[in-house]
Amino acid sequence: MKHTTAAVIQDTGEARQRRKRYMLWSFLLLIAMTLVLPLIPYAVAYVQDGSAVRNPGSELWREVRQRDQAVIGQTQADNVDAGILINKRGEEWRLFRMKKLIPFGAILIGGILGLIILFYLIRGTLRLPGGRSGKRILRFTLNERIVHWFTVVIFWILALSGLITLYGRYVLVPLLGPEGFSVTASASLMAHNTLGPIFLVAILALFFTFVKNNFFARGDLKWLTKAGGLLGGHASAGRFNAGEKIWFWLAVILGLALCVSGLILDFPNWGQGRVVFEWSHVVHGISAVVMIAVSFGHIYLGTVGMEGSLESMTTGYVDATWAEAHHDRWYEEVRNAGEIEEPGQSDLSGGVASGGVAQSRSTD
Amino acid sequence: MLKELIDGIFWDIALIVFLAGIVWNLLAVFTRGIKKDLAVPRGSGLVGAVMTNVRRFYPHHEIAPRIRFQVVSGYLFHVGLLVLLFFARPHVEFVKDISGVGWTPVPDWIFNLAYEIAFAGLLLLLLYRLLSPVTRLISRTDSYVGSILVLLVMFSGCLAMLESFEGLRLFHRFMVELLMIYFPFSSLMHAFLFIPSRGYSGAMFGRRGVDI
Repeated sequence: MKHTTAAVIQDTGEARQRRKRYMLWSFLLLIAMTLVLPLIPYAVAYVQDGSAVRNPGSELWREVRQRDQAVIGQTQADNVDAGILINKRGEEWRLFRMKKLIPFGAILIGGILGLIILFYLIRGTLRLPGGRSGKRILRFTLNERIVHWFTVVIFWILALSGLITLYGRYVLVPLLGPEGFSVTASASLMAHNTLGPIFLVAILALFFTFVKNNFFARGDLKWLTKAGGLLGGHASAGRFNAGEKIWFWLAVILGLALCVSGLILDFPNWGQGRVVFEWSHVVHGISAVVMIAVSFGHIYLGTVGMEGSLESMTTGYVDATWAEAHHDRWYEEVRNAGEIEEPGQSDLSGGVASGGVAQSRSTD
Repeated sequence: MLKELIDGIFWDIALIVFLAGIVWNLLAVFTRGIKKDLAVPRGSGLVGAVMTNVRRFYPHHEIAPRIRFQVVSGYLFHVGLLVLLFFARPHVEFVKDISGVGWTPVPDWIFNLAYEIAFAGLLLLLLYRLLSPVTRLISRTDSYVGSILVLLVMFSGCLAMLESFEGLRLFHRFMVELLMIYFPFSSLMHAFLFIPSRGYSGAMFGRRGVDI
């Protein structure tokens, strides 16, 4: 036998090395084929068409992203919008909220507040010409005042909790920190969602209580052209002037828009899809911001802006001078009906159904 | 530390003051005694007591139109509060934790509805008290404090409804403890006194044969 042990060992060693080389090259070839083979169709298409070819997967993702049309797939989940994998409109809604609603809402609310403060600094409180007469006229009954203040309390709980939800991250996180804000936001959301349905009751009560004197009538246009007396002297008005009527209808229409959109958002169990939620949120956000901004004007005129206004909603009575100065046509009706109270008449008759003066206007 | 105080010693103090206060208040009323009626009874005092208790749940027809607002708001608040207090799931679980006794709570949607009704009712009553010249004249500090405390308890409960933050639950519990301490010394005791009060009037007139 020519093969010695050393020769056998040498042969075995070489064979092992050879096998290792084959394995390594095979492995590298496998990797290369895995990377290169999928590119062959592109290369062929490139050569054939002379242009770049899109990823064949792009067709699938285009349909999923619904660039051209909404495509509803099928899933085992059985609820609204379950077949939509990605909601492209969600990004549009998000951009509207972040880039339009939040900044423009802040400008509107802050702007109107700033204008009111400026107006007050320039003009001050509108005083009663000639001072108070001491004679009183019943302007709002007890029922009217209760409905008004009930709506005010619910509105401001909802407005503040809503503003925290919209602007909290910019205003409150620096103050309270992220953990503090998360508690505040959770509390605001619960208050907002739970008390929201009550606002519908309040708005409907407000509408039915005050609607009969809030239809636009002769003289309202003239009142508007005179800007309520700011331009061109005295502006005649009935029980409610044109400005108050505009505020009433704005409050009712915006309030109902808030309620309907709010109920859609609060109760997601009527089969609403994402699109309905997005539009509801848009309506809700815009209505809320406009209503809050305009309410500042109402609050200003009803408190510091005009002497003698606030007591109409707290005691129910206004001074006769106030009535003659701001609602002259209503003052004439009341005077002709003999309903002006002289100084010293009982306080307990005010706005209560038992009082003779109030009974004619009582909503009991 | 605040958690230990509110869940621990404050709760114990509030519970003792609440229970001892109510018992003391009731004992003070019942041990005052009543003047012996020497007249021959013409009717049953017991029947008068029971019938008056039932009849006072709805207003007398002569005054009903004038007090409709207070009656409706009052029922909205009290019925809502009853459902909220005794049948809301978090409250049922709380009572079961401390006493071992539990019962079936109402579904969450009824809990929410009861809260809204109770809140609206109480707000309407408070506004009536503030805006009516009659009630404004006869109301004392206690009348407002009681109403506002109950409103705060309910509102803080609403904020904590999600049961996600310990701080909100503690705030609600603290408001409840304040109310429990205030309760026996205030007009809120009407919750326990209205039955003996109606019963006494009914019994007195029932003995005299008068239907009230």
